[in-house]
Amino acid sequence: MRFAVDTGGTFTDLVLEDNRGRLHMFKAPTTPQDPVEGILAAIESAAVALSTSTEDLLAQGELFIHGTTHATNAIVTGGTAKTAFLTTKGHPDILVLREGGRMEPFNFLVPFPKPYIPRALTYEVPERMGADGGVYEPLDEAGVLGIIEELKEKEVEAVAVSLLWSTVNPAHEIGVGRLLKKHLKGVPYTLSHVLNPILREYRRASSTCIDASLKPLMSRYIGGLQERLKAAGFGGRLLMLTSKGGVMDAGELAEAPIHSVGSGPSMAPIAGRHFSRADARAATAIVADTGGTTYDVSLVRRGEIPMSPETWLGQRYRGHILGFPSVDVKSIGAGGGSIAWVDEGGLLHVGPQSAGAEPGPACYGRGGARPTLTDASLVLGHIDPDYFLGGAMTLKPAEAEKAITRDVGEPLGLSLQEAASAILRLATENMVGAIEEITIHQGIDPRGAVLIGGGGAAGLNSVAIAKRLGCQGLVIPEVGAALSAAGAMMSDLHADYRSMFFTVTDRFDFKGANATLRTLGDRCRAFIKGPGKGAVESATEFYVEARYKHQIWEIDLGLPINRFRSKKDVERTRAAFDEVHEEVFAFRDPSSEVEFVGWRAVARCKLRKGRFGRLVREAIHETTLPKRREAYFAGKGLVNARVAAFDSMKAGEAMRGPAIIESPFTTVVIDPGARAERTRSGSLFITL
Amino acid sequence: MARAKTRRAKQKTKLDPITLAVLHKRFDAVTTKMANTLLRTGRSGVLNLARDFSTSVVTRECELLTGAESLPIHHLSGADLMARSMMDLHPNLKRGDAYLHNSPYHGCSHPADHTILVPVIDKRGEHQFTVWVKAHQADCGCSQPTTYMGHARDVYEEGALIFPPTKVQENYEDNEDFINFCRMRIRVPEQWYGDYLAMIGAARIGEREVLAMGDEYGWETLHDFSKEWFDYSEKLMISAIRKLLTGEATTHSTHDPVPGTPEEGIPITVHVRIDNKKAAIEVDLRDNPDAMPCGLNLSEACARTGAMIGVFNSIDDIVPTNAGSFRRINVLIRDGSVAGGGKHPTSMSVATTNLADRVTSPVQRAFSKIQDGIGLAECGPIFPASMGVISGFDPRNNNEPFVNHLFLMVTGGAGAGKTDAWLTILHAGNAGMCFVDSIELDELHFPIYIKTRRLMPDTEGAGRTIGAPSGYCEYGPVGGGDLEVVYVSDGAINASKGTLGGLNGAACKNFLMRADGTLENLPACADIILKPGENVASYCTGGGGYGPPHERPVEKVREDVEEKWITRERAWKVYGVAVDDAGQVDMARTKRRRKRLGGG
Repeated sequence: MRFAVDTGGTFTDLVLEDNRGRLHMFKAPTTPQDPVEGILAAIESAAVALSTSTEDLLAQGELFIHGTTHATNAIVTGGTAKTAFLTTKGHPDILVLREGGRMEPFNFLVPFPKPYIPRALTYEVPERMGADGGVYEPLDEAGVLGIIEELKEKEVEAVAVSLLWSTVNPAHEIGVGRLLKKHLKGVPYTLSHVLNPILREYRRASSTCIDASLKPLMSRYIGGLQERLKAAGFGGRLLMLTSKGGVMDAGELAEAPIHSVGSGPSMAPIAGRHFSRADARAATAIVADTGGTTYDVSLVRRGEIPMSPETWLGQRYRGHILGFPSVDVKSIGAGGGSIAWVDEGGLLHVGPQSAGAEPGPACYGRGGARPTLTDASLVLGHIDPDYFLGGAMTLKPAEAEKAITRDVGEPLGLSLQEAASAILRLATENMVGAIEEITIHQGIDPRGAVLIGGGGAAGLNSVAIAKRLGCQGLVIPEVGAALSAAGAMMSDLHADYRSMFFTVTDRFDFKGANATLRTLGDRCRAFIKGPGKGAVESATEFYVEARYKHQIWEIDLGLPINRFRSKKDVERTRAAFDEVHEEVFAFRDPSSEVEFVGWRAVARCKLRKGRFGRLVREAIHETTLPKRREAYFAGKGLVNARVAAFDSMKAGEAMRGPAIIESPFTTVVIDPGARAERTRSGSLFITL
Repeated sequence: MARAKTRRAKQKTKLDPITLAVLHKRFDAVTTKMANTLLRTGRSGVLNLARDFSTSVVTRECELLTGAESLPIHHLSGADLMARSMMDLHPNLKRGDAYLHNSPYHGCSHPADHTILVPVIDKRGEHQFTVWVKAHQADCGCSQPTTYMGHARDVYEEGALIFPPTKVQENYEDNEDFINFCRMRIRVPEQWYGDYLAMIGAARIGEREVLAMGDEYGWETLHDFSKEWFDYSEKLMISAIRKLLTGEATTHSTHDPVPGTPEEGIPITVHVRIDNKKAAIEVDLRDNPDAMPCGLNLSEACARTGAMIGVFNSIDDIVPTNAGSFRRINVLIRDGSVAGGGKHPTSMSVATTNLADRVTSPVQRAFSKIQDGIGLAECGPIFPASMGVISGFDPRNNNEPFVNHLFLMVTGGAGAGKTDAWLTILHAGNAGMCFVDSIELDELHFPIYIKTRRLMPDTEGAGRTIGAPSGYCEYGPVGGGDLEVVYVSDGAINASKGTLGGLNGAACKNFLMRADGTLENLPACADIILKPGENVASYCTGGGGYGPPHERPVEKVREDVEEKWITRERAWKVYGVAVDDAGQVDMARTKRRRKRLGGG
């Protein structure tokens, strides 16, 4: 038996795969003060549904895969460790100056961001390496010992060491590490060349500092989780999700906790890829995860999970850079809780502000006065006030009507339903905009793609989004409301190794490049033999970061080979680069040499084989729904829409819009003209 | 204004508010996509490291529609002038054409800003929109290895190749004569050509996007959108101006002397008038000296834009910057003046930065004088040697030639009405949009060694809200070769001014550091050759403070001390805050000191 638990901002989702390969889905409220409590509660509700005890259930567990926003939250709320930043002498302001850049040039209300580590905790290490790896100034150990004394005095809880050019010659960082280990016992530290050997000092320093600052907290969290799961009866292997869309052993993640940051949304594309293959066989899948506050979108092309070389915590230029590639998920402030408002010029906006879980939309009746997307859907009759989250909460339509009329209807001179319809349409446009940014703006036509709608609020307007984009179809998986946890169940164990080695096509250094690839390959092999032992299937993939001469930004290129045997191999790699460059940027430059900068190898170990199972219809969710309901659709007005229960539809059974398909976790609105059919994998496949 | 009103009255709203919002986002996305292409594919550091470029869409009537994420100085005014001159000189625009424009005498900002204009032509051969990409070149053929010829007497001494709108592509094919010509006259031609390809690629992507929008929505809908979007923007502008007080102010700012200017430098005077009732803002630049025999003269585009940046920096930032909101701003320029009235062959080599900032800064300061809490103090003037153009031959790399504009250390942000400075504003016209160089990337790509880059304590523009501190930077050649450094530095004599009792920002200082460590003062405008072992030591300017320093919140001053931005001595003397050995504030002493500083 396998458990996949995703601790989100509002809900903790559990997907359980039983010994017969069948799936079970449960949700429990997240408990921010002690997230493990929420996890145990979700397991408990599973035990109740399966008529067993928590202990017996956990005792059957072989794998426990866990995703958490714990690290991300700690950063956002300032709950990380008191961390010192050790930098090269003469360069104390790397974290202050960052890489420059700004958005909204005329906005002088947003203050300049503070450095991730305060200047008061930044120390200059007397040393300097050069770009060629030569020692320009030797490491002054007495100077380092002096710094360590100050760290003791200040009771620093973690240390980040990022020295210039440590990627080319790590001797000084290693020296500092040795002194820290010896003289600052018990205080965890991170060395930049070990964690993230990349070019560009700000990015490397930023990852090093973020990582170090999470070490005390994540060690405690992971240690605590391991202990409490064990105490509750679990004797299997604990794996944690990473922002790269894979899993790592919990102990290893505690050593490099930065990989946990942003791991939440990284799983949706993995699940999305699965359902696009199972239900649509489309080459391109747009995977959308609609929560209460954010709308996360990603693009899976030809089965590849998209990676982004740049990941920011918070807004670009205003937040902190992670410095690692991560699954490329674009998040915008749009979701069920997005607030609708009209500006002074008379333009309607939806979001990016959100009513959140507290006070929530006006219709929650918990003091939220401003109209949201959820309120609009309720007013339009798309949501059943008595069957929200399977009836877990009763909504108040009168509050929604009041808010929409006051804030949108009156200022724009629209009737209640017109106003609600406009909110829905604009929210749809915002979401379409996010998708366009990852499709059209990258030169990818969404018209050939299939949209995968995940998240609790996906059903409200995914049909409209897919239609607006001209998608081939829309898939709402039966586990869609816990898409990330489902993705976690499918993810691979992985390790990612990087190395810097510079060479150019016209004087290609075969020896150097091959030695680099060999070392990376060896590390992958060691991983596969170690943590990857017992995997169903293992593979190593090689990548090179390449660019035209004088360019600065590299393109990540999958290498078809693991060794350069002859000039032909160089030419083949170069041709592949030209092709990707043209695909992304509309031109190629055959007259220019190509530079290879960074090399990367990824070891992937598959943890499961066989089909991904079907969701079991739990007895406790049985209910009767009305057959029809009045619902408003733009262009049609009020119609009598059919209502069906998601889990009672049989494979191949179809339903034409206007219709509403309800499940205990979500509501799917089928617009007039659209047609929903249950697939063999249990999803709804909707054609437009 | 009357014209705008009648036009609006006649026109009926055709587009629903949702389509309006959607099309606005689509047009913005066109420019973002062009920008992304250029950043990722450009070859010179000034493009791919510093992001010194802009992208924009202009209507068929040559009105600026959008320039999302562009550098303000590149596009507010000038987009219109450039598109107009393309149409005047080339009345028969065809699909597949592309034009290079860098002539400040035809609406471009300055000759280093190569601009590729692509007319978007529909299936029937009609011109519907124009997209353009403007990018600061690493070299533009000047007589010295820099794009900033501050001391050039005229365009001939400047030596930059000047292209009034020139057809460089027909039927999507390069004009090879043009390419060959540039290869002979622009330094490091492969780098230039790579940048040219990147610019063409970006412009073509913009063209493709707008054509697709035309197919999807129909051209008339897009033109209706433009009209309505302009009206909507004007409405927001009116509402923003109505929030300001009616008033006027005259402010001055002086550029340091360089060869070709009077000894006292270039004094700039601006008169700003806000008319709350008419919802109009006027910036009068007529009261300024005649054009001078140097490279600092402002092009018309930069003079207008410089003034407009000062305005937009001071009003509600939700107002879109386009031809609609511009209807409410009137910039007055005198023919023949240094501030935008110069004619060919006056050199405008450095028009986007030095003197343009000397227009923007007093405009935003004038707003603060009309109303406390609005506008900003002065931003730091540029270019110190830490932002010089470096060139030479790379001994580590077969002595290959290199030339590039460094963006190593510039701060310059001004204290604003409501917030502290944006530290890395670079200069007023840039608004902090450019990137700051990575030490490692610079050292990898060029034979230089950057020993130090740090921000200096006690150099902030003190105030209620503070201006950016000065930054220090020290670099020189490695590998055994020489390093040529060229820069045009303002702000050594005339530092950025504070406002409403805020103190001035730090002045800039540039030194040549000999191998034995001795320092020699460098002039404002310099072309020096560093020998191995020698370094440039450069302090950039800071920004001015806003409001009296003793009104800065005590807790912020305490934090400034804790974070080592200022010393305890400065906290006491300038801000009137007593911070003890443990870093805690002595409130009683602070109150007494602040009372005295406030004159009470």
